This record gives sequence, structure tokens and C-alpha cells, in this order.
Amino acid sequence: MSDFLLEFVEITQTIGDGLFFGTTYALIGIGFSLIFGAMRKLNMTYAAASLAGAYVGLAAFTFVNAPAPVVFLISAFASGLVGGVVYITCFRFIPINNHLAALMASIGALFFIDEIVVHTTDGSPLTFPAMFDDVMFELGPYGIRGDLLFVFAVCIAGTVGLLYVLYRSRLGLATRAVSQQDVAAQLCGIDVHRTNAVTFMLAGLLGGIAGAMTAASVGVLSPLITVPLTVKGLIVSVIGGLGSIPGAIVAGLLVGGLENVFLYFRGVNERDMYVLLLLFVFLVFRPNGIFGSAIERD
Amino acid sequence: MSYYLGLTQLIGIHTLLGLSAYILMLTGQLSLGQAGFFAIGAYSAGILTVIFELPILPALLAGAFIAAFFAFFVGFPALRVKGLMLVVATIAFGEFVRLFFFNLSWRVPRGDIEVGPDSTNGFREIRYFVANGWSAWEITAFVWIFVILVMAVLWWTDRSRAGAVLRAVGEDELAAQSVGINLTAVKVAAMTAGGFIAGIGGALYAHTATYIDHLTFTVLLATFAISYPILGGLSSVFGTLVAVIFIQGVLVEGLRFLGDWRNIVFGLLIIAAMNLKPSGLFDPRTSQLLKRAVGLGGGE
Repeated sequence: MSDFLLEFVEITQTIGDGLFFGTTYALIGIGFSLIFGAMRKLNMTYAAASLAGAYVGLAAFTFVNAPAPVVFLISAFASGLVGGVVYITCFRFIPINNHLAALMASIGALFFIDEIVVHTTDGSPLTFPAMFDDVMFELGPYGIRGDLLFVFAVCIAGTVGLLYVLYRSRLGLATRAVSQQDVAAQLCGIDVHRTNAVTFMLAGLLGGIAGAMTAASVGVLSPLITVPLTVKGLIVSVIGGLGSIPGAIVAGLLVGGLENVFLYFRGVNERDMYVLLLLFVFLVFRPNGIFGSAIERD
Repeated sequence: MSYYLGLTQLIGIHTLLGLSAYILMLTGQLSLGQAGFFAIGAYSAGILTVIFELPILPALLAGAFIAAFFAFFVGFPALRVKGLMLVVATIAFGEFVRLFFFNLSWRVPRGDIEVGPDSTNGFREIRYFVANGWSAWEITAFVWIFVILVMAVLWWTDRSRAGAVLRAVGEDELAAQSVGINLTAVKVAAMTAGGFIAGIGGALYAHTATYIDHLTFTVLLATFAISYPILGGLSSVFGTLVAVIFIQGVLVEGLRFLGDWRNIVFGLLIIAAMNLKPSGLFDPRTSQLLKRAVGLGGGE
């Protein structure tokens, strides 16, 4: 094979791996969008809560040696629980139109959770269990890592599950009603606070899956991931159009794929800089994101 | 004694950081990127005194102007979006600057050692004050001259037409626009001024600390920057000063006995403060009550 072909295979392989991993970003982006859609507020704690869920799962792995699927489940449910607590502490009692106060409170919660994690783990990275990490599929010149494929499948399943709940259940109907017009929803007898709390837990559940999958595909869990994951989740939801779920999915895959391209050409230290530049490109040329509507700006 | 002088310098520098967010918040914009401008000021001024061996004053002003320049250019794309989108854009900018300095390596030989920013190892040799034999008192006075200057200018601006324009945009953009105020010009001007003030703060920080690295300029620092005006309220520049003294002087120093657990308490305090007083600790009503209690301006 010629050098050119070899390089081509290597680059497409890199992009493919990035697309698989990009599903975790898509999940985090969906979580931000879900909460933004419901309350028109940013929940800055979201990524930290997701990783906190993964840490609870890791505790089950370390202390009772739980198998990997159980660890993932525990992570998801713990993160959902944290999501509910974050709603009560940072959003429930703050006036509905005071966006700044809710933002500040959730930043406070971000540092709170981050510090607890740093203290209990001494800030050092810990090994996280993975599934199928010894499996490798061969597809022509390409190799597909089993653990990445598993991450991809789980994230897709999570997204489909969420879409099912949102569009095919009474709970989803209530969530969508509150996000469209909360006063009208209240007049129809929907308990807005309860619905919002459930939305936060649902988003948390999804975040827990994303947190566990991120940790599983990287292999370690470290408090150093918190801020980058928060920033990337925010970038994904902005590029996709704040509040848009299909946008978050597309943007998550885009960021995941491009991130690996930057990694391939510029190295790990400069990778994130280009991802951030990507956001500015979108802000200049398409400030409402890929799927955002032109009129409804926040 | 030198410990308290160091604390006084830190309070002055954080006041500048808080004021840089304050002027932007007057126009109703919230930026989590002030740590980025602070970092640009710190690194630029440090490079100018260490590598180009300039005196402190021109280096400091150059650092402030470079930070203002970047604020101006960030202002245009970032201010196309409002509110929470601006928060995201400015967080991204702050992280971008941090990663830039994380990667920046510019070592030049000076005598038998190398000086300059050394990417992950930080920028260690900013010894202008030590090399020129400044005492701790002189450094403190130098820092506070700038703090007082900036506070005086902002206080005076607030009483001029410019201040009224800034607050008009902050109160109601649509109303401001309909009386002929150019929103973009006002917002970009506020952003640039904020960048300039943060740049001065950063330049002073680099020279008092003598050592900076990318971990100094994280989202945590940007959060501190906006929490001062949020806690101190937007009624006057003194609110920000009081908030800095309260957080840095009383909380951070007072909670020293908690050791590493301090930051956890900081997070909890923000949550508690926002739940109990969502419009800031010193909102107009509270500051009115306080003024009446100490017998100032109670006649309204």
C-alpha cells in the first residue's frame, strides 16, 4: 500500500474512533439541552454530577468488586439522584426569572462536588472497569475497538430511551408542555416543580451513563476531567443550538470526530484549543447553532 | 506584618478583577472569561519585564492594553449572543487562553540561566520588585494606587453620561436602543474597559506573586471575579470592594483553620447566598438599611 493510502486509513480510523467517543459528548450535550429547554437555565453542575455518579459506581467496583454492567447501572442512578438534589438546592427555590442566581448557585455546586471528589480520592486518577476492552474487530484495513463500540451502542441506546420517554410517555408530554409554556402547563394541572425535578433526574441518569462511558473508554476516572467535560458539553449544546436534542447529537459526533483530527495533527496538548476555536467559528457564522431557530435567541 | 501586606495586595488585585466584571455587569452582560484577560495581562507584563527588561510601569500599561485589545476582539463575536450563550462563549475564551499559556514556551538565556514562560512548568522568574529592591510597603502602595485610580474613574463614570448609558443598556436593552443608544458600541466598550482593568490586575498579580502558571487562571478564578460584584451588588464600586474584603479577608483567611476543606465551604456559601438573597448580598434594599443603620443618607 502506498504512503498516501496508509495515511488516509489512519486518518479515517482516527475520525471513526472520535465519532464513537463523540456519543458521550452528545449525551452530555443532550443533558444540558434538556435542562435548558425545560427551564431556560444553564445547569453548570451537570458534568460534575455525571462524573460524581461514575465515582459512586467506581466505589461499588472498588469495595464490593461489582461487575462492570452493575457499576454502569449504579453510576447512572447515582447521577440521577445527584441531579434531583442539584435541582432542589440550586433551582427549586430561586425565582424563575433570575437566571444569574441559578447559574451562580450551580457553579457553587460544581465546585462543591468537585472538591468532595478531590478530597475522597486525593485528586489521583483511579482505574475504571471497561467491557470488551480485549475485543478487536477487523474490518478491511480498519480495526474497531470493542470497548468503544460498546460505548457507542450504550450511548445510542440511552438517546433512544430518552427520546422514547420524551415523545411516547405522559411524563415526556408533561416535560415538553412545561418547556413550551410553563404557565399554561400549570393551568392544565401539571405540577411544574415535580416535572422539572423529574427532568433533572432524567438528564442526570443520562449524564451518569455518559460519565461511566467516558471513564470506561478512557480507562481512568480523575477529577481533572470535570472542567473539560463541562466545557465540551456546553460547546456541544451551543453548536447544536441550545435546547435542541437532534442538534446536540449531531454536534456531539462532530466535536468527537474533529477532536481526534486535531489530536492526530497537533497533539494532545493543543487538541482542546482547536475545539474551543470551533465554538468561536460557530459564534461568528452561526450563533444559534446548527439546529437553533433564528428568532428565539437567548 | 509582611503576611498582612501580602493579603492587602491580594485584596487590591482581586478588587481590580471584580471591577473588570462589574463594569460589564452594568450593561447586563455576565462574563466568565475575566480570568483569561487577567492571564493575558499577567503573562504579557511578565514577559515584558523579564525578557525585554522594561521597567514595571510601561510593562504594566502594555499588559493592560494587550488585554483590552483581545477583549475588544472577543467582544464582537461574543456579544452577538446574549445572556447564557455569552457565559458559554466567555468560559470557552477563558479556557482557550489558559490552554494557550499551557502550551507557550519562550525561554531566553539570561546570564547562566534561562528565563521566560516554560509551558507546564509555569513562568517563574518575574522578580522585578525583588531585583529593584522594592519593600513590601512600596509594592502594596503601588498596587493600591492603581486600585484607587480605577475605582475613582469608575465612580466618576457612574456619575457622568457614560454611566447612565451603561446602566440604561443593563436595565432594558430595547428601551435603550429606542432612545438611540448603539448597543454594540456600548457593550464592546464595556468589554474592552473590563479587559483593560483585568489586564492591570493580572500584571500586578504576576509581579507580586513572582510565579504564575496556567493553573492560576482557571474557571474558579473567573467565578471569583463575577461573585464579587454579584455579592456586592451593582449600586456602587464600593460594593465590589466590600465583597472582596469579605471573601478574601474574612472568609478565605477566617476559614484557614479548615485547611483544604475551605473550597467546599466556598461552594456551599455560594449556594446558600443565592438561595437566600438571589439579587446579591448587598441589594439596594439591604444597602439602604445598612446606610440608615450607620446614619448615612437615611433621609429618603
